[in-house]
Amino acid sequence: MNELSTSPVQDNSAPFQRLHPLSIILKSLGTLSQNIFAILILHFSLFDQNIVYSMLAALALITLVFGVTTLIWSRFTYQVTTREIRIKSGLLNRNNRSIPFDRIQDVSLEQKLVSRLLGLATVALETGSGGGEDGQLDALSRTDAEQLRDTIRDYKDGLNADRAEADDRPVTADVPPLFAMDNRRIFIAGLFNFSFVLLAILGALAQNLDFLLPDGFFDPRSWIDAFPEQDTIDGFSSWARIGGALAAILSLVVIGFGSGIVRTFVREYGFRLDRVDSGQSGFRRRRGLFTLTDMVMPIHRVQAAIVQTGPVRARFGWYHLKFTSLAGDSGGETDHSAAPCATLAEIDPILDDCAIDQAPADLIFHRVDPAFWWRGAIIASLLLSGIALVTGTFINGGFFAIILLAVPVSLISYLNWRHHQFALTDQQLFVRSGWWRRRLTILPRRKIQTIDVSQSPLDHPLDLATVTIGIAGGSAIAPLNIAAVPWQSAMDLRTRLFSWQNRT
Amino acid sequence: MSEHLNQTDPVTPVPGSPTGQYNQGLTPLHPPQKSLIRIGMIIRALILLALALAADIVLQIQLGVQPGMVLIPAALLAVVLVLVLPGRKYRRWGYDMGEEQLRVLRGFLWRTDTIVPFNRIQHIDVAQGPLQRLFGLSTLIVHTAGTHNSIVTLPGLATIDAENMRETIKDHIRQDMI
Repeated sequence: MNELSTSPVQDNSAPFQRLHPLSIILKSLGTLSQNIFAILILHFSLFDQNIVYSMLAALALITLVFGVTTLIWSRFTYQVTTREIRIKSGLLNRNNRSIPFDRIQDVSLEQKLVSRLLGLATVALETGSGGGEDGQLDALSRTDAEQLRDTIRDYKDGLNADRAEADDRPVTADVPPLFAMDNRRIFIAGLFNFSFVLLAILGALAQNLDFLLPDGFFDPRSWIDAFPEQDTIDGFSSWARIGGALAAILSLVVIGFGSGIVRTFVREYGFRLDRVDSGQSGFRRRRGLFTLTDMVMPIHRVQAAIVQTGPVRARFGWYHLKFTSLAGDSGGETDHSAAPCATLAEIDPILDDCAIDQAPADLIFHRVDPAFWWRGAIIASLLLSGIALVTGTFINGGFFAIILLAVPVSLISYLNWRHHQFALTDQQLFVRSGWWRRRLTILPRRKIQTIDVSQSPLDHPLDLATVTIGIAGGSAIAPLNIAAVPWQSAMDLRTRLFSWQNRT
Repeated sequence: MSEHLNQTDPVTPVPGSPTGQYNQGLTPLHPPQKSLIRIGMIIRALILLALALAADIVLQIQLGVQPGMVLIPAALLAVVLVLVLPGRKYRRWGYDMGEEQLRVLRGFLWRTDTIVPFNRIQHIDVAQGPLQRLFGLSTLIVHTAGTHNSIVTLPGLATIDAENMRETIKDHIRQDMI
């Protein structure tokens, strides 16, 4: 360890540690499983199904992968000091990264199926600097990982002395969770998670695994041969044909619901949200069927709350609570899911914990200008009639029917307008948007970073404007905005939103 | 705030310059910025003309289209780009250093009016490109923690103004607001 002696900062004598040795096996298995197809392809093509050559190739691959992984493992060290974690990595290009605990947005432990068998856990640290995980320790033993997590969680600026006390505190496992989902609830959540992903996966599998299928599986001619003569189909009564079509639609619906339920179970199984109070108070979320994740997020990092629902879900009273923070959730989601399927009564206490209030019952929401929908409807109708005219004239008269699409498009933009509302209280800004994906964003005014008032060329004649609010976190593509507000009210709204500064 | 910043009275526009009406009476950018915008537009116009010329020749040879069918509209557009647009773009720019916030107004067709409170600013850059150096201009870039508007740029400041603004803002930056 030459690096240790040349290290410029040694504020702490904590040793540099390596990852758990079993992580070599874990990573090698991961790399090997990606390359198993290469061996299979070689086995069937170049080696002409000669098992000896294939075995030799496999052996060479395994040795190479294990060797390289071990080398990488031996060059990866980390050090946990009292205020930061330092990670040294890289075979040839050495990288020396230090992440101050102060800047860590959330810590999550992840255990894939293999890691669980080996008793390992991956620690992912997010600082919100963009671009995925900023520090990943893949992998530590479960106890080491938990200890590291607790060290970071219990860190308070300049207050490390009481950490020993915190360790002595009895672990209160019997505290009821803030929110948990039983299997029935997960099933309900799955019903609203209707998706065609499974269908897509089946399609992709069929395409990639076509060597398992009989010859000519994708050749339409073999299918036509297999089918009875066209005459027999023509011979069916029209009811039978309608029945066939219905059965096809029904099977799609079943697949859609089924895949939604399966996906939800895999992700949300054993969902449990707790409040942790050692060190900085925060939320701890555990979930997962195969891949267990265990995330801790300090409460003061919560920037905004999003209560999401849909037209059907809202009727049954189910809502999805999410928190926006600078760091994204695992799986590429921009917001942290805090309660995937909950009633408003269940959401209330969670919001209370992060000092965010639900909209009071008597709060008056303001609608935006009706131009929000009729302008969109007019533009869509013009566009559709253009397409209908061109295709109808030059291709087929039937294409004139495209213009009928203008009706549902206008209807949807009207519904979206009805559901785009905002309200302001002393502390918070409420913004509702979307008819199908209904979102209520609750933003504490002290978390506002910047405010834009912008006008597109279409806004000038109507003197409308869009108010866009910059928050730390959330989606960069679709930021929080209030569209189609008269320009003067937009300016007034901004002044009122910033008025907290003058009061405090 | 430095005297230099206040030398242009933002409320009463300079006689002969319509700037004040268009940027809501905010401080206009340093006048050489207009020339800089124009240079940018000239470059774009030249690229446009080159492309139009190529298209014109190809169409003439391949389809026998009358020469100038593409080039003449492109030339008209280029004239608008160089003569009309720089002035309009320039006078829509404006900024205001308030007590606690920076306001930036920009855009001719797509207009945006941004307010950044000083205590939300994470760090500040003062940047200068080679052309800007020629005109004695600088760009003030403030970084916020917001995902939207994580970078707010204000180009076309006199270098001394940009540096003074940086010093003013620096005093307001607080630690760890997120």
